[in-house]
Amino acid sequence: MATKPLIFYFAPALWMLSAVLAAANWYLQPGRAGAWAVSVVLLVFLGLALLFLHFRAPHREDGEAAAPSDAEWAPGIRRGILFAELLVLSSLSVKLATALRVAGDADLGRRAMMVIIGAFLMLTGNDIPKTLTPLWALRDAPRVQAFQRFVGWTWVLTGLALAMIWLFLPVKLAESTTFLVVPSGMLLVGAQVVRLRRACQRAA
Amino acid sequence: MNLVFKALSDPSRRRVLQLLRKGPMSAGELAEHFPVSKPTMSAHFSVLQQAGLIDAEKLGRTIYYRLKMSVLEDALLSFAHTLGWSMKSPERERPHAGNNLQKRSAFNKEA
Repeated sequence: MATKPLIFYFAPALWMLSAVLAAANWYLQPGRAGAWAVSVVLLVFLGLALLFLHFRAPHREDGEAAAPSDAEWAPGIRRGILFAELLVLSSLSVKLATALRVAGDADLGRRAMMVIIGAFLMLTGNDIPKTLTPLWALRDAPRVQAFQRFVGWTWVLTGLALAMIWLFLPVKLAESTTFLVVPSGMLLVGAQVVRLRRACQRAA
Repeated sequence: MNLVFKALSDPSRRRVLQLLRKGPMSAGELAEHFPVSKPTMSAHFSVLQQAGLIDAEKLGRTIYYRLKMSVLEDALLSFAHTLGWSMKSPERERPHAGNNLQKRSAFNKEA
């Protein structure tokens, strides 16, 4: 029997922990019921997505043969769920810590969330160059490969910069720097998309 | 990750990856750059494929290889190159090796 990767246990464990934290927050601060209700709705949605993955793509866990299409989308969705859970969990745990007066920094939750978003960008960008289109479907394979590498690197560096900014800079400076760094990364990628499209049109 | 380090530990395999950074190449085009036998090159390609660093695709009777490296793996390769982990390449540039780009563009037009 194949050993399941850690991520299969990690996602349900994070979900349960988040549910417990949401309940604890609701109990301690009933005045903010609206906010806790939103997090519960989010958790229900994530739970449904986890159940869908469990029943729709059980092959990955059992080590059985699977349809190639299933094998492609399942890890991406699982990773997305995991990051969403991390965001909810970090927010709920900081709120709980503030309510219990364990943590005094009101910006801690925001910082944690931005660092997690940075990590998500890094992980997503890391895999971009591994996404391959069949060669016969490509008009200019070397250019597409160069584009994918560029986008991957840009995304990873943007995520790294975002995480570093929110880890080390003061909040005011981090806010303004984020508005400089993230749009710059997106602009660079956008410019490369336009360049690639023009080159492909010229080649056609 | 062990497979990746194993694949990157050999200078010939690192050279293959560097050549593939320019774009997809056929097995023959790649082999032109190395003074080793075809079975040896096949073994190198096999190790790189097992590590998930390259992808092979058969078009007609030719096998084309291309990079399938994540950003982290790409950075590791650059790191190895910069630090010069015994990077004495066994490459043997042949006079016609420079035509590869033209060959590739011809392939792209066909594709």
